[in-house]
Amino acid sequence: MAVSEVTNGRKKRKQADAEPEVVKSTFPETVGLELPSDEEEGEDESDDGEVEEFPEIDARSDSEDDAEDGSDDEEEDEDEEDDEDEEDEEEDDSVSDSTSDAGVFPKPKTIVSDITGQPKRVYPDIEPDYDSDSSTEDDPNRIGNVPLHWYDDMPHIGYNINGRRVLRPALGDELDKFLSTVEDPQAWQSAFDKNAQMDKPLTGEELDLIRRLQAGENPDGDYNPYEPTVEWFTGKGKEEVMPLSAAPEPKRRWLASKWEKKKIMKIVRAIRLGRIVPSKPKATDGKHFYDIWTEAPSEHAPPLPAPKPSLPTHSESYNPPAEYLPAEEERKKWQEAEPEDREQDYLPQKYSALRLVPAYDRFIKERFNRQLDLYLAPRIQRKKLNIDPESLIPKLPSPSSLKPFPNYKSLKVAHTEGRTRCVSVSPDGSWVVSGDEGGNLILWEVIVGRAVKRWKLDGKIGTVEWCPRTDVAFFVVGTEEKLQFFVPPNLPRAVLSLTQSILAPATLPPPTPSSIKWTSSFSSGENEALLTIELSSGSGLPKQFAWHRKGDYLASVSTNESQGGVWVHQLSRRHSQAPFKKIKGTVQLVQFHPSKPHFFVATQRYVRLYNLAEQKLLKTLMPGIRWISSMDVHPSGDHVIVGGYDRKLCWFDLELSDKPYKILRYHTRAIRSLQFHPTYPLFASSSDDGSIQIFHARVYNDLMTDPLIVPLKILRGHEVKDGLGVLQVKWVPRQPWLVSAGADGSAMVWCS
Amino acid sequence: MARLKQKGKSGAAKAYVTRSSAVKKLQCSLADFRRLCILKGIFPREPKNKKRANKGSTAPKTFYYSKDIAYLAHEPVLKKLREHKAFAKKISRALGRGEWSTAKSLEENKPTYRLDHIVKERYPTFIDALRDIDDALCMIFLFASLPSNPRVSPALITNCTRLAAEWQLYIMRSQALRKVFLSIKGIYYQAEVMGQTITWLVPYQFTQSIPTEVDVRVMLTFLELYQTLLGFVFFRLYMDSGLSYPPALDEAKDDSGAGVGAFTIKQVENTGPIADTRSANPVKKASGKEVRQALKDIVTISDTTNETMEPMPSTESVDGADADEDFVVQPSKTEGQTFPELPTFRSLEITPRQTSTTLFAPYTFFLSRETSRSVFEFLVRSFGGQIGWPRSSGSGSPVSEDDPAITHVIIDRPLVSKPNETEEERERRIKRKYVQPQWVVDCINAGRILLEEPYAQGKTLPPHLSPFGDRLGAYDPAAPLLATEADEDAEMEEGEESEMEENVTEANSGLSLPAITAEDPEALRAIELQAEAAGLDYGTFDKQVKKSRKQSKDKAPASEVNADEQNMNKMMMSNRQKKLYERMKYGERNRAAQVCLLIL
Repeated sequence: MAVSEVTNGRKKRKQADAEPEVVKSTFPETVGLELPSDEEEGEDESDDGEVEEFPEIDARSDSEDDAEDGSDDEEEDEDEEDDEDEEDEEEDDSVSDSTSDAGVFPKPKTIVSDITGQPKRVYPDIEPDYDSDSSTEDDPNRIGNVPLHWYDDMPHIGYNINGRRVLRPALGDELDKFLSTVEDPQAWQSAFDKNAQMDKPLTGEELDLIRRLQAGENPDGDYNPYEPTVEWFTGKGKEEVMPLSAAPEPKRRWLASKWEKKKIMKIVRAIRLGRIVPSKPKATDGKHFYDIWTEAPSEHAPPLPAPKPSLPTHSESYNPPAEYLPAEEERKKWQEAEPEDREQDYLPQKYSALRLVPAYDRFIKERFNRQLDLYLAPRIQRKKLNIDPESLIPKLPSPSSLKPFPNYKSLKVAHTEGRTRCVSVSPDGSWVVSGDEGGNLILWEVIVGRAVKRWKLDGKIGTVEWCPRTDVAFFVVGTEEKLQFFVPPNLPRAVLSLTQSILAPATLPPPTPSSIKWTSSFSSGENEALLTIELSSGSGLPKQFAWHRKGDYLASVSTNESQGGVWVHQLSRRHSQAPFKKIKGTVQLVQFHPSKPHFFVATQRYVRLYNLAEQKLLKTLMPGIRWISSMDVHPSGDHVIVGGYDRKLCWFDLELSDKPYKILRYHTRAIRSLQFHPTYPLFASSSDDGSIQIFHARVYNDLMTDPLIVPLKILRGHEVKDGLGVLQVKWVPRQPWLVSAGADGSAMVWCS
Repeated sequence: MARLKQKGKSGAAKAYVTRSSAVKKLQCSLADFRRLCILKGIFPREPKNKKRANKGSTAPKTFYYSKDIAYLAHEPVLKKLREHKAFAKKISRALGRGEWSTAKSLEENKPTYRLDHIVKERYPTFIDALRDIDDALCMIFLFASLPSNPRVSPALITNCTRLAAEWQLYIMRSQALRKVFLSIKGIYYQAEVMGQTITWLVPYQFTQSIPTEVDVRVMLTFLELYQTLLGFVFFRLYMDSGLSYPPALDEAKDDSGAGVGAFTIKQVENTGPIADTRSANPVKKASGKEVRQALKDIVTISDTTNETMEPMPSTESVDGADADEDFVVQPSKTEGQTFPELPTFRSLEITPRQTSTTLFAPYTFFLSRETSRSVFEFLVRSFGGQIGWPRSSGSGSPVSEDDPAITHVIIDRPLVSKPNETEEERERRIKRKYVQPQWVVDCINAGRILLEEPYAQGKTLPPHLSPFGDRLGAYDPAAPLLATEADEDAEMEEGEESEMEENVTEANSGLSLPAITAEDPEALRAIELQAEAAGLDYGTFDKQVKKSRKQSKDKAPASEVNADEQNMNKMMMSNRQKKLYERMKYGERNRAAQVCLLIL
């Protein structure tokens, strides 16, 4: 029904096209607004009655109007009569439709009156037939122009003319809506009308309006963007002739500017003189080349040329030997590696013919990288050492030319209990005494290793040392808080008596007030200590003894430094004294100078040299070792070696500096013990790695020549036990032999 | 009292500036700064003490010499770049306002800069410039093969093509090419020009596209400099050989794909002064007669035309040579006569050459259509040969396919039997030698004509080795062949010449197995592991090791005694020396392991 009506309406409109033109020609301003709207109103009504919601525009009729505007002007008058007849008929139809549907007033028609010549409105006649009566039909709701949202939460949507509620019609659910869209092919053309509370199909005009809005055109179909200009103030006969101001006309209106002339003349003169060349030819795009290297170069050194990339090797060939081709694994590894990590930036590949070689895909990228290298990478000039690495090893005299030195193990004396802590060789070089942590003390011969005597002391043995005097024979053993003096058995009578007179003199010198107690046991045999010096209680185990060369003074260092670890004992006076009231750091070692009244004290960090006679500090040696474990003074007294737990050995030249002359680091674990040979130019070091290193160390008398240090031999034989290796080494005087004590509980003799 | 030293007023703090402060000082954008650095050849420096150079901060920074930056500050190009900035503003305003005529006149007076002075500054002498054109040539050849796009204008590509052709022309004419290497990346050429070795890489003839991670601006700035540099270098090179620069380009020929044949090299009429300057070089005093003779020599060499060539008793046929292609060196008329040689510039240049520059002179080549014409035309003509190509490879071939003078055909096709072959064709096929392209390159690298048989059409080619060799001590693929041969020989005549055998094997494989002979057990272990990873069974490896051990046996006892001493002497090395020693040893071991990987 609706569709047919729409099409009807269109037909009608086409037929009725002529009518508005009549009016338009005479009233161009108004017609466009009024007439079509009227017409459409009618059509709307013909469709479904109550509308007035959308502005109505008739596009089609309008455009046709425009096209025919000019041509139809004259004909219209003649056609009018005929048209009217037809129109009347049509109008009837439409009117009847509209009246029946909407029940509003029929549409008026504006025509030019024959009589007055003025436009007038003519209403169609109302025919009192059945169709004209709308009373029998369904009433559309007449709730008036009341905003519907006022009734949003009400069951009704307004009131009718009688004041009755007009109920909200049932709208159906979503399914109904969907079904209606399926059933009704026109559903897409309909929209929900709020006033009527139902879907109303859109008219063609409304659809057209929507289309215009979507297309961004003017929504008004009647709008004519190309209306003819109306000339109000211009054009023929409308020229303004009166001036706007009465000011006299300025001179510049008719006189040429002097300054402009000057400027122009300047340019003209320049052109004449050739200073300005109009349309000068361009300088050939910078392609002009000449010999720029004609004159001599400046004295400035030319900038260093950029390094050239390395030349391609065999593997880059398109047809390399088969051995260059990567295996599957290598290929995979290369592909997975980051581009920066790859050794080569390409994978070697083999092509059987040149025509099969493809383009290299990273060509431009590599060129670009080269350029980045050229301008973004800092350049460093590296000296390339083209030397044999072996030439870096210093050339030293061969060890075979520096014989004798100990190079093999000649015998081994085993201690059964614990580590062999300490060892000492008698000054005549035939006896060795070694002590272990179990308190066993063994006296044995150097040459055959026969144990002559064993002592069993209570507690650990910290250190043992022979007295350097050759006319007497005894040694001192350090145990917990005690220094015990022993005499070896089978001594010649003269030696024994002299020894006894020193250690246990018949007439005791007057006792000096001291905390240290000297006790001699006259009765005891060889099993007991002849003399015992009891250190203050809590001083701990003595860890090192140092005899003065004359054998009268003995310095001892105890582990517990809080009680004053360093004591110097004088045998002849049976007196002990602490040389230092207070000393910085833990004292590790002490040593007498071999010829001068000097005294070396090694703390954990420094070695200090004191003059005992003048009672002052002479020197502080800074080995930079953490921490000092061992120290020895060269027999000449001018050189000191210091070993440390950090594997370093420092050689000091006392004449030279308090910094080491040479630092050697060859042991793999901490250095435990060091000793210079008293007569041979040798020194040995032992370490926790179980090895003993023998060095040749020649010191020259002239000050110009540096001491010569040559490594001679690494002696291995001690086992490493609990991280401890060789704990002490001692040279046999007058022989190039070495005695060592190890943590594996053995003492060894190394012979040349 | 001495003046107090203030912090940051001397030393590294003053000698170095960071990049951002350099940009601030120069009052230009970072892009302009980069451009300037590229053009002027200024690069960042690594200060010895970064913290001091950075005024106490340890933030990662790029440092430049402050003197370098001061030197950039009064650079004319920088001024031009600033002018260009102003120009860009003006023109964009004019365009925005629609002032077309203003824009047009602005565009006409656009500030441009020349790089002549920069070339002169960076390369004070011609030799400096010549030494540094490797990169420039690579870039020119690359851009000559690129397609144009909005960033890379066709004019630029044309210019690059032109420069590339000019270089090739010069090399062909001066016969300066020495080595060629067909690699997977492209073709490496090495030429020797005025005593300078110049190596350049040319990509294979495929269309390249610029990848997105590449900054085209940087490449174009480099190219800008390189074009100027090469222009001046070529000018000088051409001038020194008495030619006019730039060589004339025949548009019609170029359009028909004549390649380098489209250029015409013209002799400069006034050769007098140039020859004079050249003959001023030699140390030896030359008599007037000799000078005259030498001059005559030069002139006759340089303007060889068909007319002068015809009556000459030359060995090969030169009938096809074009008048304009006179850079195929022909023996001069005076060759037969004996003259005391005067060391002219050219003769001095020629003498130290090892490879014969007239290697291909007796031969005429013909290219099959699947081979690259530009490459092989260049190669063959550089070594004095004649070459022809089919129409499909471009016009201007001096030799047609059925020319009886053709001795070699360079062909890169699998062998296909032709069933219906005319008698003439068959005869021609028998007469000519069909070789694969690698033959040409291998001949050049070997410096002599190799046997054609292993390179014949359809044959599996022998490996193509780099003429540049490898670094010292690296694996030499040519050596094992010799060594095994020698081994076999020696085994056959076992008892007789045992002394000689040992000598031979030592000489050959002693070089290639330095690591295995080494006594160092660590090195041996490392090599063994590598060999295992490479999938070699232990037996073979052991055999190799034993063999090499046996060879070095005589040396062994002596060295064994020394080894301990050496080891002990290492104790006396200073820490620095020790580290250096370890590093060198490490490198040695690594290299040996690599060599070993290749051998096994």
